[in-house]
Amino acid sequence: MAHGIFMPKLSSTMETGTILQWFKEEGESVEIGEPIFEIMTDKINIEVEAYEEGVLLKRYFDVDAVVPVNTIIGYIGEEGENVPDESPGIQSDEDDAEAVTSAQASEAEVEEVVAVAAAAETRAASNEKLRATPAAKRIARENQVEISLVAGTGPEGRIQERDVIDFIKNAPKATPLARKLAQSEQVDLASVTGTGVNGKILKQDIAGALAPAPVAEVKPAQRKKLAGMRKVIADRMITSVTTAPHVTLTSDFDMTKVKEIRAQLLPTIEKQTGYRLSFTEIIIKATSLALSRFPSVNAALIGDEIIYNEQVNIGLAVAVPDGLMVPVLRDTNLKGLAAITAEAKEIGKKARDMKLSPAEMQGSTFTISNLGMYAIDGFTPIINQPETAILGIGRIQDKPVVVNGAIEVRPMMVASLSFDHRVIDGAPAAEFLTELKRILENPYELLV
Amino acid sequence: MSKKYDLVIVGGGPGGYVAALHAAKNGQKVALIEADHLGGTCLNRGCIPSKTLLRHTEIIESIQEAKEWGIETGELRLSLDKMRKRKDDVINKLRSGIAFLMKQDKVDVFNGLGIIESSNAVKVVGQDSEELLEAGKIIIATGSTPVVPPIPGLDSVSFETSDSIFDIKEIPESIAIIGGGVIGVEFATIFASLNSRVTIIEMADRLAPLEDVEASKLLEKTLKKKGIKILTSTKVERFEKAGEKVATVCTDKKGKEVVVESSTLIVSVGRKPNLSATSKLNLEMAGPFIKVNNKMETSIPNVYAVGDVVGGFQLAHVASAEGIVAANNASGELDKIDYHVVPRCIYTLPEIASVGLSEADAKAKGLNVRTEKFDHAGNGKSLAAGDTTGFTKIVYDEKLGEIIGVTMVGQHVTEMISEASAFMYLEGTVEEAAKMIHPHPSVVESFYEAAQNIVHKLKKEKKLVR
Repeated sequence: MAHGIFMPKLSSTMETGTILQWFKEEGESVEIGEPIFEIMTDKINIEVEAYEEGVLLKRYFDVDAVVPVNTIIGYIGEEGENVPDESPGIQSDEDDAEAVTSAQASEAEVEEVVAVAAAAETRAASNEKLRATPAAKRIARENQVEISLVAGTGPEGRIQERDVIDFIKNAPKATPLARKLAQSEQVDLASVTGTGVNGKILKQDIAGALAPAPVAEVKPAQRKKLAGMRKVIADRMITSVTTAPHVTLTSDFDMTKVKEIRAQLLPTIEKQTGYRLSFTEIIIKATSLALSRFPSVNAALIGDEIIYNEQVNIGLAVAVPDGLMVPVLRDTNLKGLAAITAEAKEIGKKARDMKLSPAEMQGSTFTISNLGMYAIDGFTPIINQPETAILGIGRIQDKPVVVNGAIEVRPMMVASLSFDHRVIDGAPAAEFLTELKRILENPYELLV
Repeated sequence: MSKKYDLVIVGGGPGGYVAALHAAKNGQKVALIEADHLGGTCLNRGCIPSKTLLRHTEIIESIQEAKEWGIETGELRLSLDKMRKRKDDVINKLRSGIAFLMKQDKVDVFNGLGIIESSNAVKVVGQDSEELLEAGKIIIATGSTPVVPPIPGLDSVSFETSDSIFDIKEIPESIAIIGGGVIGVEFATIFASLNSRVTIIEMADRLAPLEDVEASKLLEKTLKKKGIKILTSTKVERFEKAGEKVATVCTDKKGKEVVVESSTLIVSVGRKPNLSATSKLNLEMAGPFIKVNNKMETSIPNVYAVGDVVGGFQLAHVASAEGIVAANNASGELDKIDYHVVPRCIYTLPEIASVGLSEADAKAKGLNVRTEKFDHAGNGKSLAAGDTTGFTKIVYDEKLGEIIGVTMVGQHVTEMISEASAFMYLEGTVEEAAKMIHPHPSVVESFYEAAQNIVHKLKKEKKLVR
């Protein structure tokens, strides 16, 4: 009896998953626990392991296909078994007795897959993504082989059973004492030249390897496959810089009054929302106001059309472990600072916790990237396509400025606006940035 | 026309003849010069004759012990002549064995005193002829001779050294042995079994002062049981004639004068290098010895030195190992001496054998070591043999289980020590030693048991790296 392979539902908000790669060809045999394919959701990318053994009879979707959850994307069964030519689609009704059992089974399995996903996340968090088949892991364990030292030859560099066996067979010859010392001092035997009979590694060789070269030099550079979120970021960045001619304008903003207004509003907003008003929210509000006055900066270039967005939705770049996410705050030109503060804080936390739903990451018309928490002034942000422009925010720093012919110390901030020169030209972009400067230097109109 | 050789070796002892054979096998044209008999001190005046006599001691002791086991013989009659003849037979057999090997490997052996004229010429001074050999390279392996200390009165009394003692004609009624080192304690054992009254006078606070303290103590205890008188921390002040006998006048550790009268006096306080061949070379020295590096090279290019003449362990097997290193380097094959694993044996009854560092030496070197001792009283084979004197002690590192040193005392330990040496040389740890299957019953199980005890302890303490 053939068993359907489902696109797993890995979170309550997951609606679709993108197939990143298949590890098995049609006709290849599959063992329980072996990864069969890798998917990317809006949050993570994960390998999905088989929970039935047999032969991979059918793959209905190719790499990069976006598949709704619970859709049958393939079948595992006995060789020669018949399966439908087309995917039966989402399996939830009773049109097929077998499918029903599979579907019911899948409910439980989904739980399991979620557990697996959790485990995978923990592993990713420890920054040591190790791909190894269960058999490889078992043999490594039985032979006391440190599996991270084994080079995988499977798909995506996965360590397979035969890799571990080869590793054991080809392991450098070393005396028991040398092995222990190597283990205790974390020296990779493969990096040591043995001086004993036939190149056998002796204790003194390990001591020699330890003495002159710091351990850091002995360690090979870590390698990591460009995949998942990193790959998405990489692809999007290269598309943006290669398609949009970027021009970056910078301007110094005097933030004296923003500081004042923040100090005044902070207690009120904190009382209302429980969140502390930060400069980011004031800048979001000011930018939204400026955008509503400059539709060309709030536009999107899609195909050969420039779309002037009616809504002002601000994307806020948020750093997450090993990546970047851009949650979206909607209609910020219409909302007050309290509402923006609450939303920005909540969505920022969700992003850092990797709990954003796809909807919360879609629909931005302009993006703000704030590096003000670092010792950064101006920089050249890359446009979040299909938007027209992006604003980079630097730190606020006290600087001497000339005010009315006298030198005064003012809290200054550099704003960097990158814009797509296909959509707008320098003058309107400069006008927009000047308007933003004007608003932030006279921020009381934000309260109106 | 002088004869030309790739390599000329001066001295035919275990350093020189082994080097000669090795260089010849490396394809070198080799000359070996020996003033006396092939085999050097070891074969003619040291290891071999003493072991031959110690075998007699072993049998004498066994016969005495056997009485209690229900095996009785008549009165024990000892013939020193026959014993000496057996000793000479053994020596002659081994000498001719070396001569045969030289011939087989086409090493030219010159009988005469070798005098090194320059870094490429050696003169052989025979009984009534002289010959100059041209040498590409030279190995000095001239060995050592017993030290005769400048103690007042020694020149006016008759005394023996290890060179002369083997050829005495009668079993002495009494013997005083000056020096309780390896040579002294072996002679004490031999002569005690021949019913001489033996006194050992040692300046240090214990016998065999370079060995493990517990081994020294056990040796002292057993030698005393055999009737040997032992004076430690005792300094010899002078010798005097006392009729037919010699009076050795000493000061004991309390400053009290002690006089030991004996019919025979043996002086065994150490050995000094024999530099008879090298007076014309301006060699750099290390104390009284010739200075060499780990390739056995002296300060003069193409001149090597090995064995007792360079000091160090002053053991036959070390000389041979150094000889091979020198021969390889002289043949153009880079080699270096490694003194990491050198077994040391004392053939008293009980025997003492050790390898690596003793506990005290390891601690002096700043190593964090522990020891494990297994007593032969718990060993089946020792009990069956009726000799449970002895122990095996392993000095080890608790983290890696490295065997730092091993000391064994008891019967057969000079054979058993090679197992410990092999583990150390191949860098096996206590874990492998505890796992390897040992024959049962055998005395060497004591090593196995000690290793197992260590592993159990370390496992319990979770100390071992795994």
